[in-house]
Amino acid sequence: MDSLSDTIWDVVICGTGLQQSLLALALSRSGKNILHIDPNEYYGGPEAAFSLQEAESWVATLSDPTNQNNAGNGGVFRAASITKPEATSPALKFSRSYSLALSPQLIHSRSELLAQLVSSRAHRQIDFLAVGAFFIFKAPEDLDHKAVLTRIPSTREDVFLSKAIPVKAKRGLMKFLKFVVDYDSEPQTEAWQPHADAPLTEFLRKEFTMEAELQTYIVTLTLSLDGRISTRDGLAIIHRHLSSMGVFGPGFTAIYPKWGGISEIAQVACRACAVGGAVYMLGTGIKSMQTGYSAEMELELELTNGVTVKTRRLVQTDEPASEKVVVSRLVSIIDSPLNSLFAAVVEGAQKPAVAVIAFPSGSLKTSAGKTWEFPVYVFAHSSDTGECPVGQSILYLTTPSITGSKEVLEQAVQSFLDAVSGEQVPHGVYQLYYEHLGGPAGSRTEGQVFKFPAASPSLSFNDSTLKVVREAWKEVLNEAATGADYMAFPDREGAVYDEEMYD
Amino acid sequence: MADYGGSQHGIARTSRAQAQTADQRKLELDRIEKYRDLENQVRSHHAQGDYSPDVFQLTTRLLRLNPEYYTIWNVRRRSLISGLLSKPSHGSAPSRVSQSSSPSPNTAPPSANLSPSFSAAIQPFHEVPTVGRTGTTADSRDSASPIKEHGEESTENEQQRQQQDLDILVSELRFTIPLLLEAPKCYWIWSHRSWVLQEAIGRLQRAAARRIWEEELGLVSKMLFKDRRNFHAWGYRRHVVDQLEGPTLGGISRVESEFEYTTQMIETDLSNFSAWHGRSKLIPRMLDERGADDEDRKAFLDKELGMINEALNVGPEDQSLWYYHQFLMLNLVSFVGRATIVPTFNLKERITYMSREIEGIKELLEDYNNIKLIYEALLDYTIMLCQLEERQPDTSERADLAVWLQKLRELDPMRNGRWSDVARDYGLQEKITTPAAIKV
Repeated sequence: MDSLSDTIWDVVICGTGLQQSLLALALSRSGKNILHIDPNEYYGGPEAAFSLQEAESWVATLSDPTNQNNAGNGGVFRAASITKPEATSPALKFSRSYSLALSPQLIHSRSELLAQLVSSRAHRQIDFLAVGAFFIFKAPEDLDHKAVLTRIPSTREDVFLSKAIPVKAKRGLMKFLKFVVDYDSEPQTEAWQPHADAPLTEFLRKEFTMEAELQTYIVTLTLSLDGRISTRDGLAIIHRHLSSMGVFGPGFTAIYPKWGGISEIAQVACRACAVGGAVYMLGTGIKSMQTGYSAEMELELELTNGVTVKTRRLVQTDEPASEKVVVSRLVSIIDSPLNSLFAAVVEGAQKPAVAVIAFPSGSLKTSAGKTWEFPVYVFAHSSDTGECPVGQSILYLTTPSITGSKEVLEQAVQSFLDAVSGEQVPHGVYQLYYEHLGGPAGSRTEGQVFKFPAASPSLSFNDSTLKVVREAWKEVLNEAATGADYMAFPDREGAVYDEEMYD
Repeated sequence: MADYGGSQHGIARTSRAQAQTADQRKLELDRIEKYRDLENQVRSHHAQGDYSPDVFQLTTRLLRLNPEYYTIWNVRRRSLISGLLSKPSHGSAPSRVSQSSSPSPNTAPPSANLSPSFSAAIQPFHEVPTVGRTGTTADSRDSASPIKEHGEESTENEQQRQQQDLDILVSELRFTIPLLLEAPKCYWIWSHRSWVLQEAIGRLQRAAARRIWEEELGLVSKMLFKDRRNFHAWGYRRHVVDQLEGPTLGGISRVESEFEYTTQMIETDLSNFSAWHGRSKLIPRMLDERGADDEDRKAFLDKELGMINEALNVGPEDQSLWYYHQFLMLNLVSFVGRATIVPTFNLKERITYMSREIEGIKELLEDYNNIKLIYEALLDYTIMLCQLEERQPDTSERADLAVWLQKLRELDPMRNGRWSDVARDYGLQEKITTPAAIKV
């Protein structure tokens, strides 16, 4: 403990969420004195993945009224609860065989994040899985029919094979897909920039005479939480979706890290920084902060474990701003592998571990009978993700949080299971519900404290997160930043893989 | 691995990042010295005509470092024939062991001109009579092909020999796999595989040989999965299928499964010219083998037209799709002395089909009005229809042709000469309205 107080830290990073962890990775070869702490007893912060035991503790902590600014959550989560249909469900395996992701996100293949993980060599410790098809839930026409999951076409071959789209509509869809591929250049920009802030659905209707059903397909591809994404933002995401198609293998456009998604990236990043000499302390937060010492050390921090440390800089996360986004999330463990969702799209291609299903706006009703005006997104994860045992699967549902959202999510689980069932209807054996607050403010600096914005709950990774991490990196390194390569490192061991061939 | 020299058609292979630090440079120089030493050892054994198992081991190490060194592949094959593979039992086929004085197609001397063309590289190994489609003929010396039929002498020794040979041949195939992963287009690796496959026919029971060739088909499918338009792989696939269908390996037709394979490839990627082409080549034989009657054939044509029109609906800019559509059209109009899909169609039926296709393509113009291939197709088919009916274009057709020619002048001004010729042939006015159209 003495050496902690004696060292003058170059930076103390508080919190091991993705942003802080990526900063740690970026600094892992800098030779700086880094102390990385987290008030939680786990890595990952808002992007963590929990065993069943950890989920229970977390829910208990959130529900405890004496925990005001509780353990590192900083106002990001609330209203958490766990439901099990039977008190001790026989299907539930032991706690550590589950890894429930609090912020499941898919990462498009062309995301800058992946490029950085590769250039920093962190990718070697991550198992990437394919995200497969996107589906739309179509309610049954009448009681004699079942609900259907329709694949959303996003390539020319998908459109060719689709039996659900009329001939002329297919041509319109192809014209739109070609438009998006080049949406950044003339003359496409002239066509959409006047409508940049209008909803994407309007743009599709006016400029491409697209019917409502096809509009829904397109908006679903953007994973827009409220279904009202702007033309500017929507085109950007669809462009990313299309340009990522097939990059790492035929038939898929995005990947998902095994063992808990983003939380795995956070852990790998922290591990890299620890190897680089950083000190890690979980279960430790900041009790108080004093400024204005000598010019050398700007901050004195009293940690929750009683130790006082001196540091030149502190990096932490802001609370969600007043213009926050709130979503309701439901995590449901299912007693079936749901194999039909995870079939390889192209024969011989990698089997996907994640499938995306959307209930379009207006396809569900609240228990009061009112039409639910937002989409509900379902991320289905197979046991290949390592997040549940073989023979089971996990559904992660998301929808904007207003009155009635919890019941709508529960209803969505039921409708979904009815749609995918074969002879037997699968059951949910465990359910975790919570509300997730975030964004959208930018970063800010107060003296020697750099604050990351509270991450906006998003279903696909947004590269703008990376800009903020780089800002923080520049501030920590100061002048040293100008010469250095960002997130570009050689392999540590100087690994030579085929030496033995020469002997 | 394959960073030491080696180019393909004059284009250098991409090599790994070069050494940066002094330490890494020293490491590289050490590696180069070890390589040169290895190479010298092999060459000196070879110069003395020594192809013992030791030399075989040396070739293993050297080829791992440089699979493109084709001389070493030859040394390896000599080593296999002169030692590791069994000698044939006395009195049967002429000895396959090559004396260093008598060159055989299997062990070409280092100076042999194995031509860069891949299919030519296979030619020397075509010793077994095929079904005749490829046109190769059996070398008379090998007409006493040592394919062992069931019922011939099969002593315990014979079985043991074959088992050993099988193990060695399988091990050779396995040896090439990691090399192929690094250098999938290296001709010398493929020619070694071809050689092994031919040896399989020569040395093993039919069932064992066929299994090896079937696995080869599996490998080709994997290659095509990785690179769907690798036309070498398609050619090689045809070669493997030909052998599997031929009498030496069992003679069962694979036309249905090959046709289905082209369907799968097309559904994966519409822009696969090789798949469409392969499909067109399989159709006449497939319909014959099915014993298709007139009704079946009409149904088949309807289905193919349906499929290609769905494809053109989403990919009208794709030339491979138009080639296939044209293939189907030619089945309707160019039927004299050719095995077409619907040989018994009468003139009226042909005219009906052609007119319907032309109307269908016109619909594409509603949404795609700047794709030259559509206008070209309309032009060509209208002219074809007129020729079929042995008449000149009528008034409305001439008006259409004029409009399409104008569009073609805009979209494809490099071929203005051709568009002018067509206009002249049909007495159409040349309406030059845009400066871009004036190109002499």
